Amino acid sequence: MRPGVLPLAIVAGIALAAILGPLLLPWSYDAIDWSAVRAPPLSPGHLLGTDAVGRDLLARTLAGTRVTLAVAGAAAGVALAIGTLWGMIAGWCGGRIDEAMMRIVDALYALPFMFVVILLMVVFGRSIVLVFAGIGAVEWLTMARVVRGEVLHLRHRPFILAAEAAGAGTSAIMTRHLLPNLAGVAIAYLLLTVPQVVMVESFLSFLGLGVQEPMTSLGILVHDGAEDMDVAAATLLVPGAVLVTLLVALTRAGEALRDRLAP
Amino acid sequence: MRAILVRRMMTALPTMAAVILLSFLLMRVAPGGPFDAERPLDPATRAALAHAYGLDRPLIEQLGRYLLGLAQGDFGPSLVYRDFSVGDLVRQGLPVSLTLGGLALAVALPLGIAAGALAAMRPGGWVDRVLMLAATIATLLPSFVTGPLLVLVFALLLGWLPVSGWGGGDPRHLLLPVIALALPTAGAIARLARAGLATTLAQDHVRTARARGLSEGRILLRHALRPALVPVASYVGPAAAGLLTGAVVVETVFALPGLGRYFVQGALNRDYPLVLAVVILYAGLILLFNLIADLLYGWLDPRAAG
Repeated sequence: MRPGVLPLAIVAGIALAAILGPLLLPWSYDAIDWSAVRAPPLSPGHLLGTDAVGRDLLARTLAGTRVTLAVAGAAAGVALAIGTLWGMIAGWCGGRIDEAMMRIVDALYALPFMFVVILLMVVFGRSIVLVFAGIGAVEWLTMARVVRGEVLHLRHRPFILAAEAAGAGTSAIMTRHLLPNLAGVAIAYLLLTVPQVVMVESFLSFLGLGVQEPMTSLGILVHDGAEDMDVAAATLLVPGAVLVTLLVALTRAGEALRDRLAP
Repeated sequence: MRAILVRRMMTALPTMAAVILLSFLLMRVAPGGPFDAERPLDPATRAALAHAYGLDRPLIEQLGRYLLGLAQGDFGPSLVYRDFSVGDLVRQGLPVSLTLGGLALAVALPLGIAAGALAAMRPGGWVDRVLMLAATIATLLPSFVTGPLLVLVFALLLGWLPVSGWGGGDPRHLLLPVIALALPTAGAIARLARAGLATTLAQDHVRTARARGLSEGRILLRHALRPALVPVASYVGPAAAGLLTGAVVVETVFALPGLGRYFVQGALNRDYPLVLAVVILYAGLILLFNLIADLLYGWLDPRAAG
């Protein structure tokens, strides 16, 4: 089996379970079962047990995974868009513009970006839209560097020169010739950005600064589980395990794809 | 060497200035105020409070006063911890956070380099593969998962170590937080050290050393390790950022009286001066660590110093 296939299958499995699972379960993630508070795993009706107020742990974990993945996907998309555009303009224009744009990237790299995201949260209030816009806005730096490198490498290739000689405009060259050739590398780094974003989102939610109740996310579930672990260890172990599995599988898949494209 | 430092300072100082200016402005345009409570204050009290904290002055004057205070190490009053100035909180909390981060780095560096060296001895072998998978997982282990897990196992189930608290800096209280904080950094360092060593071990001077019959261990220590550590050195800046960020969570999980915990409380309660001070302070620290990384870089690889 090719490297990267197994991790990708695991990611797909978790995503599918998170999307379809809640439809199949009798319990919604916020439904309270008063007859079964802190039920242990494998209790009747609650496969993984319940939390401190009797909410089904499996339903909550699936719903939390779905929110985490949705936030991560959206934020990674923002990062992809900004990073690709920035890197393409810098790489294509070259010279002073390139120098200035990459200096800005260097300067931003040196910032304690988690603190900047939290600063943004504090300033603009804790909304889920801001969570992923804020994360996306700081996670695009690596993407910009990678895309710029690729563009520098591509721009003197014969097919680009030919397009230029044939009189194609800059925007046409960028969309028709550069973008399709950047796509592979961009997707590999998109896969690597998603776990970073998942980490940031769970971090913020764990501290109470990200996704807010009654919505839930893996970070919130780990936080709640940690409060309650002395009496119901599963409430910490289950979301924690899903989170770590997701992070490792996404990273392995992204690295495998990156190594295949740029050995 | 000096040229590199000067060039770095040329980026670092404007970055620092921009951080201070932007975070100050962001905080001031923020909707909602520090005096918003469940029961609204009457206008007179609100005006008096705003006046006492200088919030009714023109923005430019507030900035001027803030910068003047900053230059004297005065970060203004904390709006949540009413009896303390932000400077007091920083003086109390920063040593705790720095101790935590320093110890974690002291654990992560040797652990990561040793694991990376062991893995690089036989690239592709099972030791290499197991260690690198472990390093990948360690890198991705969020400290808010490892922290509670360590507490669950070593404090609640086995009862060997205390659950939380600072205990006046007692090593038994520090062990679990330091491990939770060090693991991701150790994993990242192991991966970098392995990559650096695998490249170096394939080079001519190492082949020559082997041909002269030197032992593997001696080759590793005397000839390969120093150039191989260049990628690790350039990671010192990001590692410092990661440790300071991780410390925020670890301090929250283990109820340690560090600056990160004050920062979270400040962020949850819109304590502008406190949040602002931590962002500026940490930005400065991280820029400092990037400079240190550059110095290390030049020392490890004199060719880069040119």
